[in-house]
Amino acid sequence: MSLTDRIARGLEAGWKVTDGARLTQNQTHEADVVIIGTGAGGGTTAEILARAGLSVILVEEGRLYYQKDFKMNELDAYASLYQEGMSRVTSDGAIAILQGRCVGGSTTVNWTSSFRTPEPTLNHWASRFGLDGLSPEAMRPWFDGREQRHNIEPWRTNPNVNNDILRQGCEALGWSWEVIPRNVKGCWNLGYCGVGCPTNAKQGALTTTIPGALDNNAHLFHGLRADRLVMKQDRIDHLQASAMAADGVSPSGITVELKAKHFVVAASAIGSPGLLLRSDIPDPHDRIGKRTFLHPVNATVAEMPDTVDPYYGAPQSIYSDEFNFSRGVDGPAGFKLEVPPLHPAMSAGVVPGHGQQQLNDLSKLPRMNSVIALLRDGFHPDSAGGTVSLRDDGSPVLDYPVTDYIWQGVKDAFYKMAEIQFAAGARKVRLMHLDSPWYSSWADARAGIDNLAMKPHRVRLFTAHQMGGCGMGGNPEESVVNGFGEHHHVANLSIHDASIFPTSIGANPQLSVYALAARNSTRLAQKLSS
Amino acid sequence: MSEIHPQSVHMDIPATTMDRRSFLRAGLGGAMFLGTVSVTAGLSGCATAPAGRDYPMPEAMDRSYEFRFLTRDDIVLFEALLPAMVGPGLSGEPVVRRQQVQATIERIDAGIHQFGPANQKELRGLFDLLNFGLTRVTVARVWSSWENASTETAHAFLERWRTSGIGLFNNGYIALTKVSNVAFYGHEDHWHLSGYPGPPAFAVDALPQFKNNA
Repeated sequence: MSLTDRIARGLEAGWKVTDGARLTQNQTHEADVVIIGTGAGGGTTAEILARAGLSVILVEEGRLYYQKDFKMNELDAYASLYQEGMSRVTSDGAIAILQGRCVGGSTTVNWTSSFRTPEPTLNHWASRFGLDGLSPEAMRPWFDGREQRHNIEPWRTNPNVNNDILRQGCEALGWSWEVIPRNVKGCWNLGYCGVGCPTNAKQGALTTTIPGALDNNAHLFHGLRADRLVMKQDRIDHLQASAMAADGVSPSGITVELKAKHFVVAASAIGSPGLLLRSDIPDPHDRIGKRTFLHPVNATVAEMPDTVDPYYGAPQSIYSDEFNFSRGVDGPAGFKLEVPPLHPAMSAGVVPGHGQQQLNDLSKLPRMNSVIALLRDGFHPDSAGGTVSLRDDGSPVLDYPVTDYIWQGVKDAFYKMAEIQFAAGARKVRLMHLDSPWYSSWADARAGIDNLAMKPHRVRLFTAHQMGGCGMGGNPEESVVNGFGEHHHVANLSIHDASIFPTSIGANPQLSVYALAARNSTRLAQKLSS
Repeated sequence: MSEIHPQSVHMDIPATTMDRRSFLRAGLGGAMFLGTVSVTAGLSGCATAPAGRDYPMPEAMDRSYEFRFLTRDDIVLFEALLPAMVGPGLSGEPVVRRQQVQATIERIDAGIHQFGPANQKELRGLFDLLNFGLTRVTVARVWSSWENASTETAHAFLERWRTSGIGLFNNGYIALTKVSNVAFYGHEDHWHLSGYPGPPAFAVDALPQFKNNA
C-alpha cells in the first residue's frame, strides 16, 4: 500500500512548481526545451530530457491536483479534472469527448488499461505511411522499457463482476478474451481510477514521469494556457501563454513568455492541432488538424440477476479482441470490447431518459453491467476521421462526421454486446440509443437492432481516446511530422503525443504514447546535448 | 465511458417552419437567427445576466449560493422542467422537495460554470430559445410560460424532443436531461435512488485526504 505522496513531498522539498493563478505580473522564462502538455507524452518527454541534463519547462493549462484532492467524488472530479468540465463534444454534439485537463493529462483520469500498439497497426503504418522504423521488432524495447517504468502487468486479482460478465459471455460463445495489463502498483481495487486515484497506486504521468522530471530540476507551470508559438524567421522563438484564474476557466490577464531552443508540443489530438493552427505554423499541404480519430464508442447495459456493484473494483480487467482485427486490418470496422465502471453521475449522464423511466433504469445500478465497443477508425478509405479547426475565440473544436462505414461497425457491435450479455445470464439488455427498449431475450434484441436507426444523437456515442490531427509519415505532403515526431518544416518543433498517430490504435492508447514519446525523446536528448 | 454534462447544442432553428428539409437548409442563416434570438430576448425583457443571489424563487430559504451562469429566467425554466426530469425521485414533503430542486439548480449552475465559454455559449442559445416567448411557442411548442407550465406540459415537451426525427431537438433533449440527471442522481443526497452505497468506508477511514476535513 502506497500512502506516501510524492507530489506533497516534492513540493515541500522545493520542486519548481508555479501556479499560474498566483502570478501577479507578466514575465519571461527561458530553458533548453519548453514542453506543452503534461500527459502521457509530455511527462515522458520531460523526464527523459531533464535526466539528460537539459533544462526543461513544462506548461499545463489544467491545474495540479493530487492525492489530497482525490476524494472519490464524481461531481468534483468531472468539473475539475476533465476538459470543459466533462462537457466536451464534437462540433455537432453527437459524440461526447472524455479527456483529462490537469497535470498528468488523461493519464490522471484513465482506467489504467495499458496495451502495446497492436502489431497489425504497426505493420499497417509501415506499409501505408512509410513508417518502417516503427516495426513491432523496433518498438519492442520501448514497450519493455515503458512497461517497467509504469509498472504495467496483467491484472492478477480476480476481475470484478462487471468485467467477469464480459469474460463469461465470451466464454459461453466461444469468443476470445484476455486479462488487461494495468499501470498500477499496490492497487486497492477500489474502482475510482476515473476520478483521480485516491491511493497513488496508479502509475500515470502524475506519479512517475512528472515527479521524475521535477526531481531533475524541471520547472512546471500549471494553470497556464499555451496561446501561440511565435516564429522568428524559420524557427520558433517563444511560446506566448496566459495565466488562468484559480477557477481554471478564465484567463487572469497575466501573460508569460517562454523562450527555448526547442519546443515539444504534447497537448493532445485536439489541443496540439489547435495550438499549431493558432500559431500559423507552416502547413503547405494543409495537414494540421486532419485525420483525427476517436475510437468511437457505443454501449449496452444489462440488468443481471445478481449483484454486480459496477462501481467497485478495478474498472477494466477483461477485454475481447474477437472482432478487432478478425476481418482484416482495413476491412469492415473492427472493435475492441471492454466494460466501463458505472458510478451514479456517469450512469445518469450515459443512460438517456427522464422521469419515472429514468428513475427505474438507474435504480437497477447495483445489478447493472455495461459493455462498450471501441471502433478502430482510420484504417479504411471510408474512415478518414475528423478535422480540428478553431472557433472564433481560438479554441479548438473537432468536426467528426460519422460515416456509413462507422455506423455499420456500431451496429455490428450492438449485436455482439447484447449477445454477450444474454450469454452471461442477463435478464434484460438495453442499448444506449434513444429508441431502445429493454429487450428480454437475445432474439428480441437481435430483431430490435435490425430495425433501429443508426443516426447521430439517437445512438449515444462517446470517445475516451483522441488520436491523430498531426499525423506522422514519410511523405510531407500527407503528414505533419516524421517518424520521430519532428516537424517537417520547422526544425525546432517536435510533437510527442497521440496526435501523431496516422490512424487510431485499435487499443487504449496510453502505452503507445508512452513508448513513442520515450523513443523520440531519447533521440531528441541526444541531438540537443551534442 | 461516461458522458456527463450536457452536449453542446446547436439550435440552427428557423422561426416558424418545422419541416425537416427547412432545418437541413437552415445552415448559416439558422445560426444567425439564433444570434437574433439572444439579442431579441434581451430587448424584450428576458433576463440576460447571471442571477447572482437574486433568486426568482419566493420560497428560497437559503440564498447563499451565487449564480454565475443561469439567469432568473433559466432558473424558472429548470423549476418547470425538473419535476418532469427527476420528479419521481423528489421528496413528497413540500419543503424538502423545494430544497432539493433549488440545490439541483445550483449544482447545474456550478457545473456549467466549469464548461467554459464555448459550451456556455451553446447553452445560452438553447436556454434563450426556450425562454423567449416567440420561439418557446413556435419551436418548443410550449404555449404557457414556464412559470405556469405543468409537469405534464414539461414532460410532453421533453417527449417531443426525445422522439423527434430532427437531430437538433434530440441534441437539445440530451443536453437538458444530462445536466439535470447528473446534477441530481450524481449527488450524495440522491445516491440511495440508484442504490449506490458511496465510496467504500474502509478506504475513506484509511486514506489521509479524508482525515482533516471529511
